[in-house]
Amino acid sequence: MMEIKFTLNKREVVIQTEPGIRVLDLLRESFNLTGTKEGCGIGECGACTILLNGLAVNSCLVLAAQINGCDVLTIEGIAEGNELHPLQKNFLLHGAVQCGFCSPGMVLSSYALLEKIPNPTDEEIKDAIAGNLCRCTGYKQIIDAVKETAKELKMIK
Amino acid sequence: MMNLNCRILSPGSLAEVLQLLADQNSSTKILAGGTDVVTGIKQGSKRFINTDLLVDINRIPEIKNIKKDKNKITIGAGVTFSDLCASEIISNDLPILKKAASTIGSMQIRNRATIAGNFVNNAPCADTVPALLVYNAVLEIESLTSKKEISLQEFLSGPYKTQLKPGEIVTKIIIPVPDDNYRGDFYKLGRRRAVAISRLTLAVLVRHENNTIKDIRISSGAITPIGTRFQNLEKFASRKNFDENLCRELSQKIGEEVLAATGLRWSSAYKLPVIQQMLFQLLMNLR
Repeated sequence: MMEIKFTLNKREVVIQTEPGIRVLDLLRESFNLTGTKEGCGIGECGACTILLNGLAVNSCLVLAAQINGCDVLTIEGIAEGNELHPLQKNFLLHGAVQCGFCSPGMVLSSYALLEKIPNPTDEEIKDAIAGNLCRCTGYKQIIDAVKETAKELKMIK
Repeated sequence: MMNLNCRILSPGSLAEVLQLLADQNSSTKILAGGTDVVTGIKQGSKRFINTDLLVDINRIPEIKNIKKDKNKITIGAGVTFSDLCASEIISNDLPILKKAASTIGSMQIRNRATIAGNFVNNAPCADTVPALLVYNAVLEIESLTSKKEISLQEFLSGPYKTQLKPGEIVTKIIIPVPDDNYRGDFYKLGRRRAVAISRLTLAVLVRHENNTIKDIRISSGAITPIGTRFQNLEKFASRKNFDENLCRELSQKIGEEVLAATGLRWSSAYKLPVIQQMLFQLLMNLR
């Protein structure tokens, strides 16, 4: 066991953990943050996407010991209280959520994109979410939701 | 809850890494992006059997830089593919490497996976290998007691085998900058565009004057058992007229070379004509 400290959804946390467990398991089982999903478990489907120091990564490929001192953002951390993040609202409005299993990862990949490129092209959106597999929507609704969010966020700024 | 059941150390300097590797036994592995190591241990891969210590090299500043001095570019072994794709030095001077790096995995993978991690296990499908080979990349390898340079081609000794010895770590990739007269390209064929393991990859770098080939470098990735330069083709093309006829001849010959290297496989009926067409198109676009 080792003690790790990190920032989880903007709060400092400290926990005793086995160093070799996946961050995916740490989040789901020690913090009860079950929005982060396990799909393939080998870095191909993106259902377990989190933001690590602002970058989208597969949490099934990162070990607990590796996030000591890091900043972690999960799907539970992007709403402001009861107010959904504009990406979450637009995913609902555009029918970008069907079974919902890919949605947390999809939203977080889009979140990382918009932080870096506020006004992305269709190609940039596709590149950002290429590592998030969705078997329901056919992706068009998701891309529409990201584009609409980009427009809204630009207006707020 | 899945537990890899091993110790993990995250040293903050290269000196500490070298000391840990010197103290090691065969059950110590280096951990960078984790895209091979974590999945390998989890799936019980033979290469990672009995691993009991992982040395995490994500916090080593010495291996995270991309630098250019005069006509040499040095890329730290721990540079991620996202770092490579965002680097102006790489975009300007090593565009084939940038193109290869941008085809790897997904954003999530490129944010973690590192350039040295791509070739240290010598998987034939490593996408940056053909690009690094046409750029004549040289590796710097360190251990507690030694530091040496070796060409990537020499380092890659056989499928899933390299010259890396216990206690050693690749620290840098050193690439001589090709002069402005070189042009090149890279092509990857996978089953889909993203998150795809390469079926076929090719890189070409060529310098020609008045339509005569002065230097040509052609390298494979996933078509041959390990990434390799096609020296017979390169010699054949040298000093020849860079016309459509030569492109056609080279494309035919690459089929023969690949067949000689791999033998006739169930996939040959598909792969050979495709690789020939890939090389033909790459060459024609570079004329």
